[in-house]
Formats: sequence, structure tokens, C-alpha cells
Amino acid sequence: MESVPLTWEEVARVYGRKIYNFAYRLTGNPDDAHDLVQEVLLRVRRGLASYQPGSFEGWLWRITRNAFLDDVRRKKRRPTSPMPDEVDRWDLASADSADTDYDRISLGDDIQKALLELPIDFREAVVLCDVVGLSYEEIAVAVAVPIGTVRSRIHRGRKMLKDLLS
Amino acid sequence: MSHPSELISAYLDGELHGPELKSLLDHLAGCGRCSVDLEELQRVRSAIRSLPVLELPEGVVPEADADVVPIHRNRGLWVGAAAAVVALVIAVAALVTPAPEPVSLEDLTSRFGARATLDPAFNPAKVVVPPEVSE
Repeated sequence: MESVPLTWEEVARVYGRKIYNFAYRLTGNPDDAHDLVQEVLLRVRRGLASYQPGSFEGWLWRITRNAFLDDVRRKKRRPTSPMPDEVDRWDLASADSADTDYDRISLGDDIQKALLELPIDFREAVVLCDVVGLSYEEIAVAVAVPIGTVRSRIHRGRKMLKDLLS
Repeated sequence: MSHPSELISAYLDGELHGPELKSLLDHLAGCGRCSVDLEELQRVRSAIRSLPVLELPEGVVPEADADVVPIHRNRGLWVGAAAAVVALVIAVAALVTPAPEPVSLEDLTSRFGARATLDPAFNPAKVVVPPEVSE
């Protein structure tokens, strides 16, 4: 049976870094990521008393993505994604061929910018899979969609990233 | 020929099993286009997964015995608190400011003469005596 952290301090200690990385990759902004982690911990502390044993990770990541979406709604007049004219063209545009070894190039900034170009549903699925490391089933629980939808969003998100990075 | 491209990402993630897995592997064996897709998606997936893991900055997680209150989101509360303090200062200032001295009829008569005696609507209690102006 999955062990459940009993206090929000334990949640912060065990999951704080993962939540921060999720938040940073989704928002691209350290201040927003900072706020989001604190908001998630606040919601975890409120919610732990009524937590029903089940998929703790699914519960935690549902709280996390809901906090993110609430933040997006609050800021919809101030989009977090850079406007197209603010985005530098990817350095990869000068890469020689399809044989480019992505791992040999410092792609962090380019990938981060490309992530912010994705629609939120795709960005969220890709980040939960490739940054947080959740299984498709855990993502389905967190996002409350069927596994087939998770599969489709991850695939389409990666295809868009490929196009943005080439 | 249909290309089951959506299965490729699931295959890379180890999320494909049974007949779907066999079907994709059979297809890949004879389809150059999907084999290229597989390689490209593998590179993108690796690139995302190679993003550096960021450490949690200090101060993000409050001390164990502190209230978990989002700091940035409460800027509005600070503005409200500042406004309340200003309002309190104004109220206190109003209370401690001395009221005008009552004015006697004799004093009014000496200052305003005929009006004090001829105007029945004239109410001396509502008169605030201006300070003396030194020449």
C-alpha cells in the first residue's frame, strides 16, 4: 500500500523540488513557480485532513495542476507565454541536419521557450511525463482525462516541440 | 497505408503492450517514415528529459512552525493594512485636535456688531472665530 505523507512539511520535503520543477517548466518564471509551490503547499495542508487513501501522487498532482490553472485564469490578461516577437529564434535553426545530436547542444533555454509555446493541455501532459516522471495512468488521474487522451496529448506536444526546435 | 504515429510516443515511454505493441513493431519494420518519426521523437523526448533539475530556492517552503501563506499573493493585504493605518492616524488626529472655543454674545457683538443683533437667523454657536492676524 502506498505510504502517505502525514504532514504538509513532509510533502514539502519529499515533493517540493518536483513541484517547483513542474511549476517552473510550465510557467517559465521563477517568481510564478515560487508562488505556485506555496499555493500548492497551502492547498495540501488544507486538504490533508480530508484526504482519502488512494493515489496520493494523483491527488497531489491534481492539486498542483489545478493551482496552476487557477493562476493562469487569474492572469489571463497578462499571459505568461512570451509574445512571438519576444521569442528569439531557436539557435537550432542553424543546425546542420536531422542528425543533430540534441544532447551535445545546450538546449535548455530553447526547450523552455518551446514548452511555453505549447497549448496548456499539451504542455502540462509533456511536463508531467518528461519532467515529473509520472506514468500515463498517474497523469490521467491528475488531469482527470482518459489514458487515451494523455497518450494523444503527449504525442502531439512532442511533435509540436520537434517542429518548434527544428 | 495508415501510420500509427500516436503509438510511437507511448512506445518510447514503455506504455505500449500486447497487440498494440506488436502492431507498431511490425509496422516500424516496414515503414521508413515512421522509423524517422521514432528517431526524431526519441531525440525530443531525451532533450526534455535532459533539462536540468532545478533546486528548490530557499524561502519557498516556509519554516515548519510558520503558517503557509503565499508571500507574493498577499501584496494586496499589505496595501490594505497600510490604508487602514493611514485612516486610523487621520481619525486619531481628528479626535485630539481642540474644538473651537465657544464664543460669547458680547464677543460677537464686538466683532460683528449690527448683524449679531439684527439678523434673527444668525446663530452665534455656528460661528468659528478666525485667528487674530497680526499686522
